[in-house]
Amino acid sequence: MSNKNSAVHAKKAEIFCRDEARVDWHSKALWTVREKRDRAAGSLPEWEQLRQIGSEMKLHTLTNLGLYLEEFEKNCLENGIQVHWAKDGAEHNRIVHKILADKKVKKLVKSKSMLTEECHLNPYLEGHGIEVIDTDLGERIIQLAGQPPSHIVLPAIHMKRGEVGDLFHDKIGTEAGASDPFYLTRAARAHLREQFLSADAAMTGVNMAVADKGAVVVCTNEGNADMGANLPKLQLHSMGIDKIVPDLESASALLRTLARNATGQPVTTYSSFYRGPQEGGEMHVIIVDNGRTDMLKDKILAESLKCIRCGGCLNTCPVYRRSGGHSYNYTIPGPIGIAVGAQNDDTNSIPWACTLCGSCSYVCPTKVPLDKIIHHHRRLKAEAGKLPYGKSSYMPLVGNFMASETMLNCSMSVARTALKVLPGSLLKPFSGAWGKYRELPTAPNSSFEAWFKKNRG
Amino acid sequence: MSSKDYILNALKSSAIAPQAMPVFNVAPRIDDLVGQFETNLNTVAGTLHREGGLVALQLKVDELIAQGLQVISMVDGIKGNRAVTDTAHELRDIDYAVIPGDLGVAENGAIWVNNKNLGHRVTPFICENLFLVIEADTIVANMHQAASKVTLEKGEFGTFIAGPSKTADIEQALVVGAHGACSLNVYLV
Repeated sequence: MSNKNSAVHAKKAEIFCRDEARVDWHSKALWTVREKRDRAAGSLPEWEQLRQIGSEMKLHTLTNLGLYLEEFEKNCLENGIQVHWAKDGAEHNRIVHKILADKKVKKLVKSKSMLTEECHLNPYLEGHGIEVIDTDLGERIIQLAGQPPSHIVLPAIHMKRGEVGDLFHDKIGTEAGASDPFYLTRAARAHLREQFLSADAAMTGVNMAVADKGAVVVCTNEGNADMGANLPKLQLHSMGIDKIVPDLESASALLRTLARNATGQPVTTYSSFYRGPQEGGEMHVIIVDNGRTDMLKDKILAESLKCIRCGGCLNTCPVYRRSGGHSYNYTIPGPIGIAVGAQNDDTNSIPWACTLCGSCSYVCPTKVPLDKIIHHHRRLKAEAGKLPYGKSSYMPLVGNFMASETMLNCSMSVARTALKVLPGSLLKPFSGAWGKYRELPTAPNSSFEAWFKKNRG
Repeated sequence: MSSKDYILNALKSSAIAPQAMPVFNVAPRIDDLVGQFETNLNTVAGTLHREGGLVALQLKVDELIAQGLQVISMVDGIKGNRAVTDTAHELRDIDYAVIPGDLGVAENGAIWVNNKNLGHRVTPFICENLFLVIEADTIVANMHQAASKVTLEKGEFGTFIAGPSKTADIEQALVVGAHGACSLNVYLV
C-alpha cells in the first residue's frame, strides 16, 4: 500500500485533532453514553454476576464451537432455513450474490451488520448491479456520505446535525438548512419506507444464533431489520461463527447486558427471534469464518471472540474518543477493533492506539480482557519483526539504555540539572512528540534511588 | 474440502481450555411486578393503561375510527375497521394495530409477541402506532424467566417489543418513531 504511512493511527488521529472543538464535542457525546451505561449497569444488583455468566457461557460455547455449529445447522434445516458456510469474506460475498442472482434481486435492504462491512459486501454487490440500501439511520447517513462507519453502534457519531441536514438536502430533498434531528429522522423514515416496500430481499446481521432452536436473534431500536426481513419473501442473515449461543436462556442473559452496556437502555426496542421463513418465503443463514478460527488458535486472542458488539469499550476509551473511529485503519475501531483487527493492520500501528488504561476491560459485559489482548498484539508485532516505523530502530537502544545502571543514573542526573537550569524552550525540542502537548516536569531534588537509600535503606 | 469441513477442521486446533457451562441462578426481584413493568415501559417511551381493560381500549379504537383512521385488530373482542390483507405490503397505510402480547418483562418493559397473533409478521412494525394487550398475571420478573416461558415453535417468529421505535443517530438526540411504530400503548387486562 503506497499510502501506508498516512494510514498510521497517530497520523490520522492528528488530522482529527486539528479541530479541537470537534474533538471535545465527540469525546463528550461518547462520555454521555458511557454515563448512561453506568446508570443502567448500576441499577442491576446482579450486574457483575451477569458479566461472569456472559463470559463463562461464551467461553464454554467457543470451546465447543464445532458441536454447537453443527447442532445449529441441523435445527435450522429442520426449520426450513437454508444454511451456507463461508471460509472468508470473498466466499461470503459470492454466496450472497448467488442467492440474490437466482431470485433476480435488483434491490436489497440491509440492516446494520459489522460482518458485511468486514467483508466489503456493499461494493461487491453494487459491482454486480444490485442496489444496496443500508436502512439503519446512522448507516444510511454514512452510506449517502460515502464513508465507512466510525462506531459499531453509533455509525455516524462523528457527524454534526448540520452536516446531516446538508447531506439529506442533497440526497433526499429535505429543506435547505434544516438540522432538526426530529425533522431529519422523519424525512429518513419516509424515504426508507419506500425502500422497504419496494425491496426484493432483505439482509441483516445476527446478534445471537441459538443452537438448540435453530433460530437467529436480531436486535435494533429502529425496527429496520424487521421492516426489512418481514416484507420481501427473501431474507438473508450473515453471522460470524462466534455468534452461536447454546440456548434461549443464554441468549436472554446476553440481551440483559447488550443494550444496557451499549446505550444505557434496559433492552433494545426490538429483539427478534427468527426460527424459520415467513409463509411462502425463503430464509438463508450464512456462517462465516474469515479469520476467526485462526484467532482461536491463540488462547489470548481467542477471548476477543466473546465480544457481543455492544460498543461499550469504544465509549469509555480515552484514545477512541479523542481520535475518532476513522483513524483506526479498520472497519471496527476502538479497543475491540484493535483486538480483532490488528493482525491484518498493514500499518502495524493500531496496537499502539491505546494507553493500556484497562477501562475497556472493566466495562465489557462478557469480560473480554481487551487490554491484555492489545498488549499481546504488541508482542506479536515485535516477534514478527513488524514494529511500526521508528519503534524498531529506537526501542532496542532504549532497552540497552534502561538496562545499564550507570548510563541511566548518569543521564537522569544530567536531566534533573538541565530541567532546573535551562529554559523550557531550549529543552522542549528534545522531548519530541511526548512534549508536543505537555509541559515539562518539575525535576525532583534527587533520584529515587538516593531517596530510598536515605529514608528506607 | 467444503468450507464447512474446513471450518470444523480448523476448530480442532483451538487453543482454549475447556470451560463448563455456567449455572444461571440469578435472583429475580418479584416485588410489585406491574409497578416495575410500568416504570421500565415509561423509560423506553411506552405508556401503560392499568385501568379499564378491553372496554377502555375499544372506546379508544372507536374514537380513532371516527377520526377516519385505519385500525387493524388481532385481539379477540376488539373491533377495528381493517381486515388482514392478502399481502404484507398492503398494510402500509395502517394507522393503528392492536396486537395481543404473550407476556411482559418487568425488568425492561418488553412484551413478547408471536407471529401466530400477527396476521403478517410485519404488522407490529409497519403500523404507524401500536397497541399491545397483555394479561397482568403474565408479567414475569426478568429475561431468564421470560426465556423459559416464551413460545417459539419450529418455523415461527417472535419478538420482544420494548416501546415505540426510536433512534439517536443524529447527534445523540433521541427521536421516537424511526422505521417501526411511532407510539406504543399497552393495555393491561
